[in-house]
Amino acid sequence: MLLKDAVKTATRSLTHGKMRSILTMLGIVIGIASVIILMSIGQSAQNLILNQVKNIGSNVVFILPGATKGSKFSSPASTQGIIIKTLTKNDVNALQAEPSVIRVAPQVQNQGRIIYGNNDTTVTYVGTTGDFFPIRNFGIQKGVALTNRDNELLNHVVVLGSKISDVLFGNLNPIDKYIRLDGISFRVVGVLELKGLGPLGVDNDTLAFIPLSVAQKQLLGTDYYNVITVQANDVYNTGFVTSRITSVLRQDHHITNPDKDDFTIRTQEDALSLLGNVTSILTLFLAAIASISLVVGGIGIMNIMLVAVTERTREIGLRKAVGATNGDILKQFLIESVLLTIIGGTVGIAIGAGIVGLVYFVLSTFFSSIGWVFAFPISAVVLGLLVSGVAGIVFGIYPAYQAGKKNPIDALRYE
Amino acid sequence: MIDIYDLKKEYTEEDIPTQALRGVTFSIDKGEFVSVMGPSGSGKSTLLHIMSFLDRPTGGSYKFQGKSIDEMTDQELARVRNKDMGFVFQSFNLLSRLTVYDNVEIPLLYSDIPPKKRQTLVEEAVRSVGLEEKLYQEAGRLSGGQKQRVAIARALVTDPNVIFADEPTGNLDSQSGLQIMEILKSLNDKGRTVVLVTHETQTAEFANRVIRIKDGMVESDKFITANNINRKNFK
Repeated sequence: MLLKDAVKTATRSLTHGKMRSILTMLGIVIGIASVIILMSIGQSAQNLILNQVKNIGSNVVFILPGATKGSKFSSPASTQGIIIKTLTKNDVNALQAEPSVIRVAPQVQNQGRIIYGNNDTTVTYVGTTGDFFPIRNFGIQKGVALTNRDNELLNHVVVLGSKISDVLFGNLNPIDKYIRLDGISFRVVGVLELKGLGPLGVDNDTLAFIPLSVAQKQLLGTDYYNVITVQANDVYNTGFVTSRITSVLRQDHHITNPDKDDFTIRTQEDALSLLGNVTSILTLFLAAIASISLVVGGIGIMNIMLVAVTERTREIGLRKAVGATNGDILKQFLIESVLLTIIGGTVGIAIGAGIVGLVYFVLSTFFSSIGWVFAFPISAVVLGLLVSGVAGIVFGIYPAYQAGKKNPIDALRYE
Repeated sequence: MIDIYDLKKEYTEEDIPTQALRGVTFSIDKGEFVSVMGPSGSGKSTLLHIMSFLDRPTGGSYKFQGKSIDEMTDQELARVRNKDMGFVFQSFNLLSRLTVYDNVEIPLLYSDIPPKKRQTLVEEAVRSVGLEEKLYQEAGRLSGGQKQRVAIARALVTDPNVIFADEPTGNLDSQSGLQIMEILKSLNDKGRTVVLVTHETQTAEFANRVIRIKDGMVESDKFITANNINRKNFK
């Protein structure tokens, strides 16, 4: 039997029971649509998170005080609330002398109370130098950034994240207004561009930046740093720069045994690979859950095909009597179930794409600050079609086999 | 054309063997019109099923066009059924939701006749049973007689050497039954071999040979020289 005729015959019997065919397909439609939706939303989430990490700036290396025990992804002691004072001015000087390093920005941070007029809120303030802004790719929306000179002169100036600026000033122009931070008066010199969530969920737009010297001497009374951010020279790869920084710091801290390092170096690549792993596992996991509905849909198809084989026993007998082989009959029923699943899969992909588009539209229109990206992976479409085709074969083969092996005499006698 | 020697068929149902055929022997030559007669349970249907390659014997030999059924695979049997045999059933076995055209086309779908030629063959076959005006009507809407004529057209469309008809008039009124028998008769007049299974004497009389089967054996095998067809009081 020609494939063309087989497809025509199959299409005809599917269209004869339209409602049944549609209902049978529904399981596959829902299954494929949910796989598509979860895969593409997972992909979007992954892109979003990775973009945020990339936002940190290229060739940025973070140095945190304290050693990291265990794997390279476990958190150093300093991030767990333990105060470690090992990163100091000497380290910054030594790093600035290192040729593979372009800029070095030490930073301290703490929570403080910030007041303008009647507006009063708690803020995380960061004390740092002028180099911080180019290293971290922080753009200025209004006014100017902090400068290294502000640091030398202990100028009482502040640069606000755009959200904290909105909270304090609303529609007013904040430039040259004075705010109070933990009782000390600062002049607002600049407002940052919207930056979005940073790595690990820190919202960069709610931070306030003041000169490092002011923070250390007048607010905190400390002489160590919480983080040193380093911009490496693009010419060198991150691995090389990391090893250079390690040896500079070990020399500076008189460490000979690498197991006794009192600092931790983190790069954007570390964060990217960690988050990349986490999000792709998450996406896969979601897709696996969604594929359960595919299996259910497939079983539905198998069920209906078995019913159809029984109902059409006489037809099978007649076709066999006039010359159809077991293979011809098997082919006809298999094509029917594959057609069902492929059409269902296609509809599912279309519905999935529609919902993904809608989610993108809603998120980008009403929650634009999230920075949701549209992702509709072609791989999901290919996978969807492939999976539905395979489901048609897997769940159609048994009923088709049953049909093919029917004895023509019994089939013709069947009432 | 058909050579049957000591043909046996045993069924086993729930461990109890039943002998449907207990050694049947006869031959049918090309161009004969043979009626196989017998009461229900005589084994005539079983005989027809074996002759028409829908079933295999459990003993004896059966050669169709010189080739033994035992030497052929199921696939080869299907091939012969398609090419050399035509079937007419008591209950028509049309696909009621398909048109007359599509029903008659079915055997061609399983043949190696190129699609271009099919339309001519279908139209010719439908014309030969006088239903060309109903070509695109749904088969389910036709009268019983018309349905059986469509079934005959379907049996003819591959130009087979033999037509097997299993009680073709059983579900028809006498007028339509007569019509069907006339068609079968005319097919035989044009040289086709026709094997008819029936339990009605009047129907059987259209043939030029009557084989009576009883209890799985040939009871009598008679040639009818002068056809004595009673068309007025058919049935």
